[in-house]
Amino acid sequence: MSAADFLNLFIAAVLLAGVYAAMSVGMTIIYGVMKIVNLAHAGFLMLGAYFVFEAYDRFKIDPLLGVLLAFPVFFLLGMGVHWLLVRRIATSDQPTLTSLLLLFGVWLVLQNLGYLIWGNSDRAILTPRTLSSIEIGPISFPTIRLAVFVVAVASLVGLEFVLHKTWFGRSVRALMQNKEAGQIVGVNVNRTAQIAFGVGIAFAGAAGGLLAMLYSFNPDFGASFQLRAFVIIVLGGLESFGGVAVGSLILALAETFVILILPASYQPAIAFSLLVVALIVLPEGIAGLWAKRRRWA
Amino acid sequence: MGQEAAVGVKDGGGNAGSSSVSRFVSVVAPLLLLASLAAVPLVGPGPNIVRLLFMTLTLVTASVGWNLIGGFAGQISFGFAVFYGLGAYTTALSINGGIPPAIAFLLGAVVAAVASLLIGLPTFRLKGPYFAIATIGVSEAVRVVMMNVPFTGGASGYRIIDKTRFVQSHHYYTALVLAALAVGISILVRRSKLGLALTAIREDQDAASDLGVNPFIAKLAVHALAAALAAAAGGVYARYSLFIDPDGVFAFRNGIAILLMPIIGGVGTIWGPVIGAFVYGLIHEEVVANFPQAHLLIFGSLLILIILFEPGGVMGLLQKFLRFVRARSSVGSHS
Repeated sequence: MSAADFLNLFIAAVLLAGVYAAMSVGMTIIYGVMKIVNLAHAGFLMLGAYFVFEAYDRFKIDPLLGVLLAFPVFFLLGMGVHWLLVRRIATSDQPTLTSLLLLFGVWLVLQNLGYLIWGNSDRAILTPRTLSSIEIGPISFPTIRLAVFVVAVASLVGLEFVLHKTWFGRSVRALMQNKEAGQIVGVNVNRTAQIAFGVGIAFAGAAGGLLAMLYSFNPDFGASFQLRAFVIIVLGGLESFGGVAVGSLILALAETFVILILPASYQPAIAFSLLVVALIVLPEGIAGLWAKRRRWA
Repeated sequence: MGQEAAVGVKDGGGNAGSSSVSRFVSVVAPLLLLASLAAVPLVGPGPNIVRLLFMTLTLVTASVGWNLIGGFAGQISFGFAVFYGLGAYTTALSINGGIPPAIAFLLGAVVAAVASLLIGLPTFRLKGPYFAIATIGVSEAVRVVMMNVPFTGGASGYRIIDKTRFVQSHHYYTALVLAALAVGISILVRRSKLGLALTAIREDQDAASDLGVNPFIAKLAVHALAAALAAAAGGVYARYSLFIDPDGVFAFRNGIAILLMPIIGGVGTIWGPVIGAFVYGLIHEEVVANFPQAHLLIFGSLLILIILFEPGGVMGLLQKFLRFVRARSSVGSHS
């Protein structure tokens, strides 16, 4: 393998990691604040894909603009789902059976609503951008991947800003660190949880739109990406935003470079293998590793 | 509080109420059910009804198996299709290799029990959602691998060459014996020290380990037992259908079905998974036939409704109903 090939693969992996981070960060927020593993994440990824598709197909809205529109729409949808279902179940500092099953039920419902509305044929979003590519010397990559990467990273930067500069963001971080202490200093847990759920779903919807620009999709679309998001947040230590970035990069690199040694049809099994390795080697994720190093230092 | 919650979902043979009623519920009713099920092929209701009941009985076995780990120990698994499929494939390969069916089912169970350790060893050491997450992944990963494994025909499936004459009632009785065995194992586990340990783990793992329970070992053991039962069910199904493929037996929707049944019936009880399997097994085909696009929508909505309004499932409803009747009758006797 020449250096140019290696560089090409590496750039492809980094561009992929951006989307992976955007799709995983919503799950991290919801887990961090409510200790709920959002098994309905896949359903919202799928809805996001169809949202952007329909916006482009019917109203000729540019898919990148469609992704930006998905943020407010899915934010409200997430708040609605929280109000209708999620607030009714008890939460604790561990994910409960009830929450897993409830959100799994929501996933089943969303997925099969998708089948009912759009059928089971594969769709794709094709724009003039889809097939063009940028070439810099021996390195080339598709324009659409760069555009998706830029939007994904911009949304993550926006989230980082919100988390550090607003009262809501401070509440989120407080609840992630210590729920009781957060309540003592005046954080409204229910309100914060509802908004956090909205933000989590907003990111799921937008990430679904971004993924739809890269891959064809059908109502079963989100499942494999949901698993990837799990792997990423486990690698990242479940509640760490920095961990999500590193976890995304590790998974993207593993998936990109493994085609050099294994047939491509095994690729869906990579995420799971990485999950098992991560659970054995790094049960507290990368964030746990950092914490440990800090303790030793 | 935890102790009460555990008793609250226990099967009908609780200490409340008159002892004759509870003895009927816990001893006579199951025997009556078993006898009437055993009589079904003799009455001759036609091969399609027998087939439907055969399928339902294999579902009972898988459902009761899932309940051991999901209900008793409170560890939700979305990946039981893996064990069902491994059982089906192991049985298929063994029968084609000339091994008698009974031993083939046993081999399937052993293979699945070993496979269950591969999921349990990395995840059961940790608290948190890791086990549930891993089971979603393992289902997909195993299906992908089986689609690409050459010696079982990969995605094109695998045919079983059974040299014995096909007698439907033999398959039916195999499934019935297996289902009865599964319920028996479930009762034994519940009454054993292991069952108590599992309840303790479900309610509070830290407290359980303080009291000398090893949660890691207990969860591994019961997960292996559950996997073995699901695998035996898959094996019985494979021998009946004579053809299996990864998209059929390893499908994620099988894992969903195996999880839905105990929840419909009443998770963590002895008879809930049996009731749930009968409800699901008997209505499932009708629902699929009438709403081919929407059947999972219906089951998904059902799951949400059960979780929000009656987490005890059918058993929970029954208990509420019995309590209501008893309250009515005691009011009546006073006046």
